[in-house]
Amino acid sequence: MSADPSTLADIPGLIRIENTGKEELAAHCMDLTHAVYPHHQVYGQYCTIQEHVDCPPEQAFEYLRQGHHLEEWTCSLRGFAPSGTPGLWVGYDRLENDTRIYCKVVAGAEAMTVDYHCSWDQGETLWMIYLMRVVPASLVLDRPGSVITWTNCRHPYYDSNPRPDLAPRADRPWVGDYWDLFYAGHTVEMANLKAILEHRHRKGLPVCVPPAAVTRGTAR
Amino acid sequence: MRAPGGGDEGDGAVTAVSLTDVAGYLPGEPVPAEFYTKFPGAEEKLRDHPMFKVPPLRHHVAADETNTDMIERAVRPLIERHGRDEIRRVDVLLVHSQLPDSPFFGVGTEVARRLGLKPEWLIDVANAGCASFVHMLKLARQILTTTDARTALICNAQSAAGQVFTQSEVRRLAQAAIPGDGCGVGYVTTSADSPVLDVETRHIGEYAGDMTTLLDDGRKYWEPGESQLRIGFTEASVAKVLARGNRLVPEVVMDLCDRLGVATSEIDAFITNQPNRTFLRNWREALRLAPERHLHTFDRCGNLFGAAIPITLDHAVRTGQVGDGDLVVLGGFAHAGDFAGAAAIRWHGGARGAD
Repeated sequence: MSADPSTLADIPGLIRIENTGKEELAAHCMDLTHAVYPHHQVYGQYCTIQEHVDCPPEQAFEYLRQGHHLEEWTCSLRGFAPSGTPGLWVGYDRLENDTRIYCKVVAGAEAMTVDYHCSWDQGETLWMIYLMRVVPASLVLDRPGSVITWTNCRHPYYDSNPRPDLAPRADRPWVGDYWDLFYAGHTVEMANLKAILEHRHRKGLPVCVPPAAVTRGTAR
Repeated sequence: MRAPGGGDEGDGAVTAVSLTDVAGYLPGEPVPAEFYTKFPGAEEKLRDHPMFKVPPLRHHVAADETNTDMIERAVRPLIERHGRDEIRRVDVLLVHSQLPDSPFFGVGTEVARRLGLKPEWLIDVANAGCASFVHMLKLARQILTTTDARTALICNAQSAAGQVFTQSEVRRLAQAAIPGDGCGVGYVTTSADSPVLDVETRHIGEYAGDMTTLLDDGRKYWEPGESQLRIGFTEASVAKVLARGNRLVPEVVMDLCDRLGVATSEIDAFITNQPNRTFLRNWREALRLAPERHLHTFDRCGNLFGAAIPITLDHAVRTGQVGDGDLVVLGGFAHAGDFAGAAAIRWHGGARGAD
């Protein structure tokens, strides 16, 4: 693990115990510590939220990994069906009328990461990426259940729709217009996720349910 | 006139209590930062690190100057403005000395002797440190509203800078360059002329004892020995105090404003204790006040401990930074967070102009 110090010496701006006294480091950190932080400073470029969920991490991960559950815990993603491209689903984001959302789930079982690669209107470039991770709460909080983290990064397309021609109508608002509400919106959805997982776990029910598309198929 | 939200401003049903006047005293000529930074053996961080933000100036008590001397000098302008008889008639004398001249008795009776006072109530306040002016304002208000007492004198003397922090070993430490000495006094009366709208205070036992005075050889402070008394701040304790101070002061001010039914943005002048620039910045940000609304004297006086609030208010009044009718909020916390308080005053003490 040891790095060659000569390579680090060439890098300006590093603050490490080798070049910064403990007290100086503490004073620097004190300077960086404010009593309050403006919303844009915390959530302007990245939006990370987190929550403890009283549901075993394996089950929480399994629930998140199956993308059709987005129809349960998100506020407005509905009606997912296979798009024709393997692994890529298409549904509606009912935040705006007639708006299609494409979604692919990329999961890592070992670290229990679940990333939703999404995009409005088209499935070629999936740039709206929701990065989630399930952490065993026993490890980090010494209590049962899961800690779920969720990060979005402000891709430039949030500020500028790359394909306005694909919008269902010219005056359809753009997803990025809502960026400043992401903390709030994602917090609402995280609360849904927590409520669903905790309810099913507490009642001893399976946390996962079959895809609605399948259910709809049988009903027809 | 009633305070917004139904406070007792000028309300006939409740005895109104006013912070009628304030005055301050700074001992000697200003001492430049170089007194510390150029001292042989000064800590590196003190000498060249901008992050430690040493105030350019501070004052030190003279070698033979006592807390009583400072209080006597601070009260002088009050006597000039209100008359010697008026001040001599005070029914209540409250005194906080940051560094008591003697461990056995308070300085209060000596102040009374020197000023010729015969107060019915005399209390040497030993708690509430840097926010003790707010604590004493609350005590004075309570006594004036519930007894026959009509007027009170409250005094904050701080004399640690020129004594504790100039010792040969302590002077080298970064902590030494921050404090300054001075004395601030307030004249409190039963009147509606400059009413104290409300006071919010909290004594927080769980944070007691986290600020300590240290003697490296472990002796008691009165035992003979060579070690030099200093404040025991570890980096970890600084981090804890930072977190508490960040939270406590905005909390008491917001609770006070809530009770008065005013938004913190309506505060015309906010005056606090001034431990360092980080707290000043953080409190101002937390209450969303423009820098010119948060008045301080850190650059010329350093950390004045309990004397900061009355000295800064006096300076603000004299320089016209506080005007007639301004909503003045005083706030602060003590030690490692064992006390926090805030007081609101509708200031009609008069902008006296530079004197």
